[in-house]
Amino acid sequence: MRNLFLGVVTAFVLLPMGMLGCFVLGLTEIRSDLKPSTWESLIMGSAVRASVRRRAAGIANAATVNNKTLVAGGKLYVAGCAGCHGELGKPFREDHDHFPPAPQLTYVPTQYSEPELYWIVKHGVRMTAMSTYGPFYSEQQLWELSAFIHQITNLPPDVRVAVLSK
Amino acid sequence: MKNFLGGLLLGAMLVVLAAFVYLKLGLIDIRADAPMPGWVARILYTGTHASVRRSVSHGENPSPDGDDTLIAGGKVYLNDCVGCHGEPGKPPSEFGLTFYPPVPQFPRAGSNYSVSEVFWIAKHGIRRTGMAAQASSYTDQQLWTAAAFITRMRNLPPGVAKAIEQTPVN
Repeated sequence: MRNLFLGVVTAFVLLPMGMLGCFVLGLTEIRSDLKPSTWESLIMGSAVRASVRRRAAGIANAATVNNKTLVAGGKLYVAGCAGCHGELGKPFREDHDHFPPAPQLTYVPTQYSEPELYWIVKHGVRMTAMSTYGPFYSEQQLWELSAFIHQITNLPPDVRVAVLSK
Repeated sequence: MKNFLGGLLLGAMLVVLAAFVYLKLGLIDIRADAPMPGWVARILYTGTHASVRRSVSHGENPSPDGDDTLIAGGKVYLNDCVGCHGEPGKPPSEFGLTFYPPVPQFPRAGSNYSVSEVFWIAKHGIRRTGMAAQASSYTDQQLWTAAAFITRMRNLPPGVAKAIEQTPVN
């Protein structure tokens, strides 16, 4: 029994230390131009989703959705997000440059609600290329953006036209 | 001994299970707008540097030493890197500091990496940071000149600094 306990404790210490050691010695791959493995995408993706759900749970939805706010959000998207997340009306282009790859929102509908999108844009996602936009957008702009992104694959046709027109 | 090995296995399974439950319940903080603790930064920077050192083959730098290389690299830098890494002579990039981990500010902090290492990072990127691979946007030749510029940025020959300022960014 004592040996069993010792074994458990040893594993508790060795496993994290071993992982840390491998990383600090430079044994892990760090280049971002390789695709994440399926298991890594699954685990990290679901960790991010779970964390966003938990943290955005208390935020009341303050998005007013009408053609005017959607167009305003769309203009912000075109100016600030499309570079990584995909340009409206352009063909699908997989992101091979970032790790994890930036979600291509114009083709893959987001699974997040408006308050969750608001939270992500405002705070960013650490250890990804998604930086914090809280300092650069007003509350109203953040809500306009989240309303737009929420509907980006399913926009009213005239909103789409208005966003794409200069 | 048999019990010890059994315990080891059980312990390993518990660690994996605990990590899984922790992540799955969303308990991990993923906000990018919280300051990074010093010990995390030390681990990340040490591991990144070690991995880069291991990956870089110290092949020949094809760009000749000299002002022309630095000027060409400076243009690449001003064209595409300044947004996050900061412009020489200006305050640090506010945008670069909103990433987690924050983007290194070369004009102020310089770089601990050699020219070959900076080239490698620019070409391949660094995963789980904002640093994207640039191979699809620039040729190797351009990235070598940018790497030369970045490693010399805080110590540029006077003519170079002037030439870069005067040449319009394309």
